[in-house]
Amino acid sequence: MLTFVVFSLRRAWQGFWRNALMSLAATLTMVLMLLLLSGFFILQNVLLASLGFVEDKVEVVAYVQTTSTQEQVDELVGRLESMPEVASVEFISRDEALRRFQEAQAAQGRDDLTKYLESNPLYASVNVKLRRPSDLQAVSDALQPDNEPIVRNVLNIDALVDRVTTVTGFVRTAGVVMVAVVGLIVLFIIVNTIRLAVVARAEEIEIMRLVGASDAFIRWPFVFEGALVGLLGALITLGLLAAGSEPMSEAMVGFFNVLPLQLGSLARDTALIVLATGLGLGVLGSWVSVRTYLIR
Amino acid sequence: MTVAPPTEPTSAPASLFDRLTGRTPAPRSDQAVVVLHDVTMRYPNGKEALRDVDLVVPEGDFVFLVGPSGAGKSTLMKLLIRDELATHGIVVVDGDDLARIPRRMVPRVRRKIGTVFQDFKLLPRKTVWENVAFALEVTGTPGRRIRPAVDRVLALVGLTAQAAQYPTQLSGGEQQRTAIARALVHDPRIIIADEPTGNLDPVISWEIIQLLLRINELGVTILMATHDAEVVTALRKRVVALEDGRVIRDEAGAAYHRED
Repeated sequence: MLTFVVFSLRRAWQGFWRNALMSLAATLTMVLMLLLLSGFFILQNVLLASLGFVEDKVEVVAYVQTTSTQEQVDELVGRLESMPEVASVEFISRDEALRRFQEAQAAQGRDDLTKYLESNPLYASVNVKLRRPSDLQAVSDALQPDNEPIVRNVLNIDALVDRVTTVTGFVRTAGVVMVAVVGLIVLFIIVNTIRLAVVARAEEIEIMRLVGASDAFIRWPFVFEGALVGLLGALITLGLLAAGSEPMSEAMVGFFNVLPLQLGSLARDTALIVLATGLGLGVLGSWVSVRTYLIR
Repeated sequence: MTVAPPTEPTSAPASLFDRLTGRTPAPRSDQAVVVLHDVTMRYPNGKEALRDVDLVVPEGDFVFLVGPSGAGKSTLMKLLIRDELATHGIVVVDGDDLARIPRRMVPRVRRKIGTVFQDFKLLPRKTVWENVAFALEVTGTPGRRIRPAVDRVLALVGLTAQAAQYPTQLSGGEQQRTAIARALVHDPRIIIADEPTGNLDPVISWEIIQLLLRINELGVTILMATHDAEVVTALRKRVVALEDGRVIRDEAGAAYHRED
């Protein structure tokens, strides 16, 4: 057993370097394909995160009658919080609303005109964040003045939300399909590249068969060699991705103003996918390619 | 008190190396190393390469397999190493019915057969020594047993001095002797040689034949396919002639062509 493992690993290593040009070509193909795959994966995640970012902006805003008491408002907030569709509820008093308006004006560099006002013209509001934007209608209905007497009116953003959910749904599906298609292409190209490397050594495999090598002795050196190509390709890919991550995230911050991603978990997922795909395809590719040469 | 009569020590079958070094005489048994019974081989494309072939090769025999190209000589050899399975009939090598042994036992059968080909099939990036050792390495032989075994077969074929050279630095005859050393290193029961002198000039061919004869004298059965009429006729060994997949002649002490 030990003889076998030592033999297979040594042969895999020799095989890799004796046919260095072929091995490097296979590794390079692996790197390019993994870059393509991880690129699509990251893009997909960025898309999803930005969609989530947009969807988080969807909230139901109900303006509250100036005559309502704090108890009535607390009651309303309590009822809303107990609804399953609701993620969070925030009550914004009239003073708070004015303060936010002033802040927003200042952030946009405009003069504060509110100081010319005699009294605060803004209404207090209940801002409801939703778990899913598609629940907008249900929550909005529940807040109508007919049901909730202290509500003055509900801000109507149905049409906008409809459009956003249609677009985000489409983009999500398209993203999954794209990653799947790219994954398939990567699979075929890598398996084929490794097949070429195996075919180049057909003579050696034939001699092994003739002198009575068992299937395991023929197969495993190639499987290990495939794993080596996969691992090397994955590590190079991760190195390139790490080098590129800084400018990429800067570009994203520039685009969205905030970074709409948990970079840590995305980096971990990407690393896992690249390593697993590289190793898996390396092993699978050589396993499949060498099968032709085994005992019939 | 009775003393048990001394029993004959039952020793393991003598290895080729013991026989080479004269420690044990070559075994003389009537056991057949190769038996083909009623063998038909039809390829998937419908071509019948062998038809109703019967052939028994006793241990220690030297058999020339002759016949025109496409007569079925190579197919017969492929059947013996179980590269192909007979469509019909029985192929037995050293007691193993090749159609019945499980797949994982096939390598063991192949180690009992040494193969030699016209094109040598040596690995160009390995030295003579490494080429021979390769046959042991890929069958899981521990490293400490490889060195002495390789050294001995190289001495037998007379290539000790060339051990560190690469095949491209060797003459054709030396390359073929390397291949024969590789075929011998597993201590096989039989050597099947598919036109081993096909690429060699007559003088070198004779050297290779002499080497095979010596190996045969040591007890290894030899089955050699050849077109070399001069060699076959001169040696007067058993000749099996194939034509269109059938055995048309099988006689001992014969010439290349029928002599009636």
